[in-house]
Amino acid sequence: MKPPPFEYHAPATVEEALQLLAGGNGTYALAGGQSLVQLMKFRQVKPSALVDLNGVAGLDVLEEREGELHVGALVRQQRLLEDELVGASWPLLREAAKFVGYKETRRRGTVGGSLAFAAPWAELTAAAVALDAAIDVRSENAERTIPARSFFRGPNATALEPGELIFRVRFPSPPARSGAAFHEVSDRYRDYCQLAAAAVVSLDGAADLVLLRVAQTPYHVDASSALEDEGALDDLLAAIEPEDDIEVSAAHRRRVAPVLARRALRDAAEDAQRREDA
Amino acid sequence: MTAALPLRIQVNGRSYEHEVEPRKTLADFLRDDLGLKGTHLSCEHGFCGNCNVLLDGEAVRSCLMFAIQAGGRSVETVESLAGPGGELNDLQQAFTEHHALQCGFCTPAMLLTAQEFLRENPGQTDERAIREAISGVICRCTGYQQIVEAIQSVAAKS
Repeated sequence: MKPPPFEYHAPATVEEALQLLAGGNGTYALAGGQSLVQLMKFRQVKPSALVDLNGVAGLDVLEEREGELHVGALVRQQRLLEDELVGASWPLLREAAKFVGYKETRRRGTVGGSLAFAAPWAELTAAAVALDAAIDVRSENAERTIPARSFFRGPNATALEPGELIFRVRFPSPPARSGAAFHEVSDRYRDYCQLAAAAVVSLDGAADLVLLRVAQTPYHVDASSALEDEGALDDLLAAIEPEDDIEVSAAHRRRVAPVLARRALRDAAEDAQRREDA
Repeated sequence: MTAALPLRIQVNGRSYEHEVEPRKTLADFLRDDLGLKGTHLSCEHGFCGNCNVLLDGEAVRSCLMFAIQAGGRSVETVESLAGPGGELNDLQQAFTEHHALQCGFCTPAMLLTAQEFLRENPGQTDERAIREAISGVICRCTGYQQIVEAIQSVAAKS
C-alpha cells in the first residue's frame, strides 16, 4: 500500500524541528524511516505531518566526551559497526548493531529512531539498557534526561511525551576490565529476533544481562551472582513472562532464554579476558 | 493530496527537475515519473531488498524513503549499468554466463548491490563476504549459488 498524504517539513535546526513537533497530534519526526514508513504503508500510522530530521544540523555527532560516548539521535546504525572508537571502547554497541536489519536499512536507520520506536525486537534497546545509557530529550521549551532503564514502557511505548524528541544518547564507559557479547535467535538470518541476550561482564565480577522478548520491555538483571554459580541464573530469570506469538511459544522462549543468557555471559567474559590479554 | 514540492535530483548521471507529492516513495518516483521500471517492487516494506538502488553510491531501500528526501542527491538504478548501446557490463555479463538469474525479478537489486560491493572491495572473492553483502536481497529462484559465483568471477578479474 501507499502511505497516506501528509505535510512535509524539512527543518535545518533542532529548534525549528522542535517548534514543528510542538504543533500537536499527528505530527511525527522522520529519522531513518525504516520503521515509520513501513507502518505508514500498513496505514497503522497516519501522520498529518512529518518533520524530516535528516537535514537538521548537529544530530549526527558521534564522539567521546569526559568518558561518555555521545551519540546524536541521527547517527546511523551502520556507523556503530564501522566506528573504531565504538568497537574499541563500547563493544556491546557494535555487537548489537551486527544484528540490526540489513546494511541497506542500517545506513538509513538511526540510533535515536530505534530507541524511540522501541520495537520489542530492537537490539539497540537492549544495548542501551545494559550500558545504562542516558537519553537526552528536548521539546520546544524544555529538556530532560531519561535513563534508558526507565525509558521503555512496553512494546513500542516509551517515556517520551508528545512534542519531545530524542536529541542525543549518552553511554557511560563500560566497567573497567569488561567485555561484551550479544546473541539472538531468529527463524532466518537477519530476521527479527525471537529472543536476544546482551551481556557486559567485568573480570572484577560485575555482570549486566539484558534479554529481549521475555517481558514487555527489555529485561535487565544484575547477573554477577551467575558468574560463579551457574544455577543462580535460573533464579534470576524465574520472573520472566514471555508471550506466545505466531512464531514462538512462551514455553520455548522460557527454555531458550537461559541458554542464550549463559552464552552471552560466557562470551562477554571471554571478550573481557581477550581485551585484558591484548 | 498535499501540495507537490519541487525536487531536483540526479539519476544515472542526468539531472531532473520534477514536482512530487511528499508521500511518493523514491521507488515510485523512479518507476512512475521517470519510467525507470528496472527498479522492482515486491514487499514494499523493506524486507525483500528488490527495490535497492544506489544513493550517492550506497545501496538503500528505495521503497522506504520518500523521493523528496533524495533532493540534491545522486541515484543509480540498474539502467545505469549497461553501455549506451545496451552492451552489458562485466557484472551483467557474468550473471548471464553463470546463469545467475531465473525469473529475473531480483536481478536489478542483486546487480546494484553487487556492483557496490565490488567497488568497495575490489578483488574480494570470499564467498562469505559476498553472501553477507547480498544478504539483504531475497531471490526466490536460483538459491544464490550462481549469483555468488558470478560476483566471484568478476572480483577475480579485477
